[in-house]
Amino acid sequence: MSTPVVDKAPGAARESVGARLVRALLTQRIVLLAILIVVVVLVMFYLSANDYLTAEYSTDYMASSLINAVPLAMLGLAELVVILSGRGGIDLSVGAIVSLAGMIFGFAYGEWGWTLWISVILAAVVGGLLGAVNGFLVSVVGFPALITTLATYYAYKSIAIVINNQSPISTPAIQDLYSTARSVELPVIGSYLPNFPLGLFTFLLPTVVVTWLLLARTTYGRRLYAIGTNDVAAQWSGINVRDTRFKAYVFAGVVSGLVAVVTVAQFASARPDAGTSGNGMALPAITIAVLGGVAITGGIGRVSGIVLATLLIVWLNAGILLYFVGNEGAQYQLLALGAVLVFAALLNGLTNRRYGGAR
Amino acid sequence: MSTTMKPSPPAGESLTPTIRQRVLPSAVSGQEVVLLGVIIVLWVALYFSTAGFLSPGSIQSILVAMAPIALMGVGMTIIIITGGIDVSVGGAIMVCSVVTAKTMVDTGIPLVPAVLLSMVVGGLLGLLNGVLIAYGRVHAIIITFGTANLFQFIGLRIFDSKTINGIPSTFDVFGRGVNGRTLGIPHSFVIMVVIAAIAWWYLRHTAGGRHFYAIGGDAQAARLAGVRVQRRVLLAYVITGLLVGLGSCFVIAQGTSSLDQSIGIGKELAVIAAVVIGGTSIMGGRGSVLGTVLGALLVQTVTSGVTQLRWSSQLSDLFVGIFIILAVGADLLRQRTRRSK
Repeated sequence: MSTPVVDKAPGAARESVGARLVRALLTQRIVLLAILIVVVVLVMFYLSANDYLTAEYSTDYMASSLINAVPLAMLGLAELVVILSGRGGIDLSVGAIVSLAGMIFGFAYGEWGWTLWISVILAAVVGGLLGAVNGFLVSVVGFPALITTLATYYAYKSIAIVINNQSPISTPAIQDLYSTARSVELPVIGSYLPNFPLGLFTFLLPTVVVTWLLLARTTYGRRLYAIGTNDVAAQWSGINVRDTRFKAYVFAGVVSGLVAVVTVAQFASARPDAGTSGNGMALPAITIAVLGGVAITGGIGRVSGIVLATLLIVWLNAGILLYFVGNEGAQYQLLALGAVLVFAALLNGLTNRRYGGAR
Repeated sequence: MSTTMKPSPPAGESLTPTIRQRVLPSAVSGQEVVLLGVIIVLWVALYFSTAGFLSPGSIQSILVAMAPIALMGVGMTIIIITGGIDVSVGGAIMVCSVVTAKTMVDTGIPLVPAVLLSMVVGGLLGLLNGVLIAYGRVHAIIITFGTANLFQFIGLRIFDSKTINGIPSTFDVFGRGVNGRTLGIPHSFVIMVVIAAIAWWYLRHTAGGRHFYAIGGDAQAARLAGVRVQRRVLLAYVITGLLVGLGSCFVIAQGTSSLDQSIGIGKELAVIAAVVIGGTSIMGGRGSVLGTVLGALLVQTVTSGVTQLRWSSQLSDLFVGIFIILAVGADLLRQRTRRSK
C-alpha cells in the first residue's frame, strides 16, 4: 500500500473525537451494529407508542421473535467459518443440508423410533458427512467453493425431496417436538424478564460458545485465520491448509445438521424443502455473515459480529411484520435484507480502502 | 494445437496471431466436443428407453425450454469470463416479466414495444448491478445476492399479491405451439442462436470482446494494458440485463396466458449451471458461448429425459449437480495439464 503507515499508528497522530468515532464505526463492525440495533429498537418503540403498528412492539415480542434468530445465527456462524477459510470460501448448500439432514432426522426420530439424543447426533453426523463432501471437493480436489456448493445444493436438495417421495414426515413423535420450540421462563430472575424461546439455550448458545472457543481460543482457529488471510504463506509456515479448510466445511455441515433439528421442531414436521423453499436459507446466512463484518475474501470475521447482525435483522424483520399488513410484511423484509446487504458490502469496500480492513 | 509455434516472431504484425492462438480457446474446445458427445449419447439412450423422446414435438419442447436459459447464459458467460457472477437473474426475470405482462394487459401495447420495454427494464437492472460492482469495488456475488432481494421485492410489489391473467396471445410467437414455429423450429430458439453467434464472434474476433478475457485473466494487468476495466465490467452486466429482458419474454411465452409470483425464482442457478457445464471457468478468463448453449441443451435434455422416463422430476437436480461437478473437474484437469506442459 502506498498510503503512509505512520498516520494510522495508534496514538501517532491525535484524532478528533468525531474522526475516532467514524473510524470505530467503520473498522469496528460491532460498534456500528450495536448502534444500528439501538436505532431500530428505539424507532420501533416510538412507532409502537404512537400506534403506527398493528400490535405492540414490546420486550415480550422482541424476546419471542428471537426464535427466528436460532437458525439464522447458527447458519451465519457456519458461513463465518467457511468464508474465513479463504480462497473464495462460501457454502451455498447449507439450506439443502438442512433439508436432507432434517429428513434423515425425521426418519430416525419419527419413523424408526430412535431416542431423541441419538437422532440429534445422527442429524449432526449426516450434516457433517454432507459438509465433508463439500470439503473434500473444495480443499482436497481444489474445486472453486461457489460452484461446488452450488452443485451439492442441487444434489442434496434433490435427494431430500426424493427420499420420501416429496412428502413431509409428521408422526406424533415429531409433532411433540414442537414443545421444544416453546418459550420458557429463565430460572431465578425469569419472573422479571420476558420468556425466551427454548432453542436459544439448547441450540444457539452452545453453538455460539463452541464457535467462539474454536476461533478465538484454539490453534485450529489461528490456523483458519492464517489460511484465510494467505494460504500460501500459511502453507510455508507449516500449516496443513487442506486439512484446516476441509474441517471448516465439515463444521458448517454439522451446524447445518443441528439447524435441521431446530427447523423440524419449529415446523412440527420434517419438510423436504425446509431449507430450500423460496430463496432458501443460504442467502440470509451469507447476508448475516457479510453484515457481521466477515470479509468475503477470507481471514476477517468474528463471532460477535454474527450475533449482533442476527439480532439486528431479526428485530428489524419483527418490526416490519407489525408495520405492514399481510403479504406486504414478507415483501418488505426482502427489501430490508437486500438493502442491508448492499449497504454492508459497500461499507466493507469503503472500509477496506480507507482503513485497510475491518475487524 | 497443430500449428507449430514460430521461433521468436519479429516485432509487429506477426505477434498478433501467436498471441491469439495462445490466449484464446480454439474455435471448438475439448469440453464442447465432449458435451456434444454426452448429449448425443443421452439422446440415443433416451430414444431407446422412452416412448417418443426424439419425436419432433419432444425436440421442439426441449428447444423452447432451453432458449431463455441459453440466452441469459450468453450474458452470464461474459460476466463469468470477467471473473464476476450474477445471482440476481431470477429476481430480474420476475421484474421484467411482470412489468411487461402487466403493461400489455393494462394498456394493450403491441408485441414489439412490449419486448423493448422488457429489455429496457432488464438493462436498467443490469446497469444497477454493474454500477455497484464496477464502482463500488465489492465482490459481485455479495452485491447480486443483495440486488436479488431488491428485485424480488420490486417484482412482488408490482404483482400486488395477484396473478396476472389474460396475457395477449401475440406472445405465443416466442413460445410453443404452431404460432411459435417456422418450419418446425421454435422462434425463441432461432433468436437465441443468432444472438449467441453474434456474441461468439464478438468475444473471439474483436478487441472489445477479448478485453473481457483479459479482465478475467488479470484485471490489474488488463488495466495497465489500457483496458477500461470498470466500463467493461459495467457493460457485461448491462448486456446480461438486456438479454434477461428478452429472455423474460420467452419465459412469459412458455407458460399459459397467466403469470404467477413464482416466476423466475431459482432460474439464476439454472443459468449458472448451464454456463459452468459449458466449460466456462468460474475463476474467470476462460469460457465460450458455444459451450453455454450446449450446457443449457444438456441440462434441458436431462430435465426432459427424467420426466419422460417417469422418474421423480426432482431427480433432475441431482443429475445437474453431478454434471456441474464433472464439468468443473474437467476444467481443473485441463488447467493442470496445461500447467505441466
